[in-house]
Amino acid sequence: MAMNRRDFLKVSAGTSGSLMLSLSLPGCSGMPTGYQQESGKWKPDAWLEITDNDEIHFTLARVEMGQGTYTGLTTLIAEELEVDPEAITPRFAPVAPEYRNPLYKLQLTGGSSSIATSWEPLRAAGASARQMLIMAAARVWQVDAAECSARQGRVIHPNGLDSMRYGQLVELASKEVIRGEVALKQASEWKYIGKQRGRLDARAKSTGAAVYGIDVELPGMVYGVISRPPRYGARVKAFNESEVRAMPGVLDVFEIERGVAVVADKYWRARKAQDALKIEWDNTDALSLSTDEVFASYRRAADEDNGESERSEGDYESAARETGKSESGKIVEAEYSQPYLAHSTLEPMNATAWYRNDSIDVWAPTQAPDLGRIAAARVTDLSPSDVTINTTFLGGGFGRRLTQDYIEEAAAVAFRVKKPVKVIWSREEDTQHDLYRPAMLHRMQAGLDGNQLTGWHHQIVGPQLLDWYVRNAAPAQYPWAPKFMYDTLGKVGLLAEGIATPKDMSAIEGAIEYPYNVDNIDIRHTHTDPGVPVTFWRSVGYSHNGFAVETFMDELAHEAGEDPYQFRRKLLAGQPRHLEVLDRVVRIAGWNKPVAEGRGRGIALFKSFGTFVAQVVEAGVENGAIRVYKVACAVDCGQVVNPRIVEDQIEGGIIFGLTAALYGEITFENGQVNQSNFHDYQLMRQYELPEVTVDIVESTEAPTGVGEPGVPPVTPALGNALFALTGKRQRSLPLKADA
Amino acid sequence: MALSITVNGEQRSLDIEGDTPLLWVLRDELGLKGTKFGCGVGLCGACTVHLNGQPVRSCSTPVASASGGKVTTIEGLAEGGQLHALQDAWIAHGVPQCGYCQSGQLMSAAHLLANNPAPARDDIVAAMTGNLCRCGTYSRIIAAVESVVGTSLGYDAAAAREKS
Repeated sequence: MAMNRRDFLKVSAGTSGSLMLSLSLPGCSGMPTGYQQESGKWKPDAWLEITDNDEIHFTLARVEMGQGTYTGLTTLIAEELEVDPEAITPRFAPVAPEYRNPLYKLQLTGGSSSIATSWEPLRAAGASARQMLIMAAARVWQVDAAECSARQGRVIHPNGLDSMRYGQLVELASKEVIRGEVALKQASEWKYIGKQRGRLDARAKSTGAAVYGIDVELPGMVYGVISRPPRYGARVKAFNESEVRAMPGVLDVFEIERGVAVVADKYWRARKAQDALKIEWDNTDALSLSTDEVFASYRRAADEDNGESERSEGDYESAARETGKSESGKIVEAEYSQPYLAHSTLEPMNATAWYRNDSIDVWAPTQAPDLGRIAAARVTDLSPSDVTINTTFLGGGFGRRLTQDYIEEAAAVAFRVKKPVKVIWSREEDTQHDLYRPAMLHRMQAGLDGNQLTGWHHQIVGPQLLDWYVRNAAPAQYPWAPKFMYDTLGKVGLLAEGIATPKDMSAIEGAIEYPYNVDNIDIRHTHTDPGVPVTFWRSVGYSHNGFAVETFMDELAHEAGEDPYQFRRKLLAGQPRHLEVLDRVVRIAGWNKPVAEGRGRGIALFKSFGTFVAQVVEAGVENGAIRVYKVACAVDCGQVVNPRIVEDQIEGGIIFGLTAALYGEITFENGQVNQSNFHDYQLMRQYELPEVTVDIVESTEAPTGVGEPGVPPVTPALGNALFALTGKRQRSLPLKADA
Repeated sequence: MALSITVNGEQRSLDIEGDTPLLWVLRDELGLKGTKFGCGVGLCGACTVHLNGQPVRSCSTPVASASGGKVTTIEGLAEGGQLHALQDAWIAHGVPQCGYCQSGQLMSAAHLLANNPAPARDDIVAAMTGNLCRCGTYSRIIAAVESVVGTSLGYDAAAAREKS
């Protein structure tokens, strides 16, 4: 990101003994910055605050859900500010335009974008603060600022002996004006970037002290549980209100848009009362489909409509005709499918809300606090500006907490009871009322002439996520719009795709970046939506496209009679970063050495969120179950900020992907979800853990994402390994041991 | 019902329905939020605490059945301001990602070491298999436990107190 640092840095005079820096990112409106001396209150539109007693606070605008922003972004500031990252206290950001993610123009954490979008601005913020502190000290000492330096929270005199604490300098520093660019440190001078290995939140998370949404405690707080329709879209017709109201501890029982809420003085009493609740549902508009019907509808849609062209190179049709006619040519076809998947964050959905004095406070583990503000305003008599979202640590996110339905519910309940109320979902509710990673269908076709790939055709069939997401996202981009406009904004957001909202890439991402050098490419999307609620899920489109593309590449390699590694390799000329991770993973996995008896090896390569990942999986079948023995992984994510967090994210992504490959499947019957808890929606457990090796390419390229890119290659790599072992090709997920 | 339990060495008296899961008593009545709710049926292990020296799933343990018992939670794992050796190892290895399951993971690991000061890797894996982690911190967990094995620090003061 090229920008003049002067343009987005504003400094407010420190009347209070504290230096406030505020970044106005391009495209964001600037808000007044400062510190209110009277109230002693921190103004929420500041990024960095240094107090006269050397406390350093950093406003963390990307939420911490395990992916490491709390440590990584703080490290960027610390590096340039010349302090230990441990010396900085991160605070979760309130909702403000300054904290929007420039990629989405919304204040959301997703798309593996946090380090990439913060790399320049946060280092610039740290460097500018350091420069102003140095200038202030130089003024005191009457020396040249260029001869002073900063180290461990102090400015050092040119004599190398005298020094002043940052805290002593903040008031003076806040009056300094930087002219021109502030130089960032050279990579050779870095103390923390690329070296920092610890996690700043590890202690709080190892002692039980970290506060998640579910841990919020308020005076006089009551508890709400909600019975939602078993079939999506059903409405409440009647319920036994008086009977439930008479249950111990029950304070209120009432209908909200999303079901029937039971509020009690204790959580367990609310649950017991809910057990006694009998609801008659009006199923007129309810979902009635089964999963088989979803795939049947996808196939019909694919037959009827070959879809929007999303990438076209050369002329696939003629190339396929030619290949078909050629003596040595053949057309290879395959259909792939993937099921709906739940998120299963270990912290179930929950939110706490308190409606009082014409305002509402919400405490929630959310990935998108500005959308949460819209959600709370929507169900109360308030405007978004009357809604305060207090973000907590998130017990997992994976895209689930980008949708604010759980905040909407808590706000609706709080609006009625006028008391602080915490709404907690049970695991069953969390599983059955999730918004799922969409089920998808892929029709693949390719021309092979001898061992030459002559054409690539990929038809993706399924829904787009913005159809479901825009409801709160569009109003969040226009927070001044009156509430009666919300639905219109949602619709406009869809109609004017690319203008009001970005082009929806969710179905095609990863497919359209098909990296192999093939002359004739035709990639299409047939948009069809069976009405099952869907949303983002760790790597979303890349997850299902990765499986289809990289499994089909494996099929083609076998059809061509070539080694799957060599087959890919020869199609990647001129793509050094793809080649590097592919070659590396082959080395660390010992690809060219024979595999142990009863095991197969599979390879896959997939780039997502700017990051190149290649994996080799070694797997077999033991006691009627798939057993994954080893996963070797090479990753190029540009400059690494925290090597251990990169390893952890990639390994975590691998386990997330393997969980989906081995177990992940949400099915519907008559519009109702069949799975409910971890016995029938299983997660990988400790005893199943393969030996995972993550090799990170050293790079000085700008950093890219790591939260999601570990996921997409692992399902095809595992499927390809099983094919190598059994000779049977599996084209749908989850994979079966007895296929 | 009126009952009393000793939690982290402190005797606590309560008047509450006996079928209330110990989890919600710890969290909402006693303010010990470190123990987490994950599944409600003992499948994920996020709510693991020690009851009379044994690891239990507090989400599916009625408080009545803990009456008169000794409970140790994540908040009681540290002793006299000194973190448990496993907690130090968790920090040094940077185990937690989202961190939500880690209280339960630590309580399972602490129970293992209190009863088997030198577990083999298979013992560790077996002891930790009941605790789910959605972020995939499994290999760091094993490494952190192994780093404590064989040191005298593996001895669990909290467990000793439970047995006393």
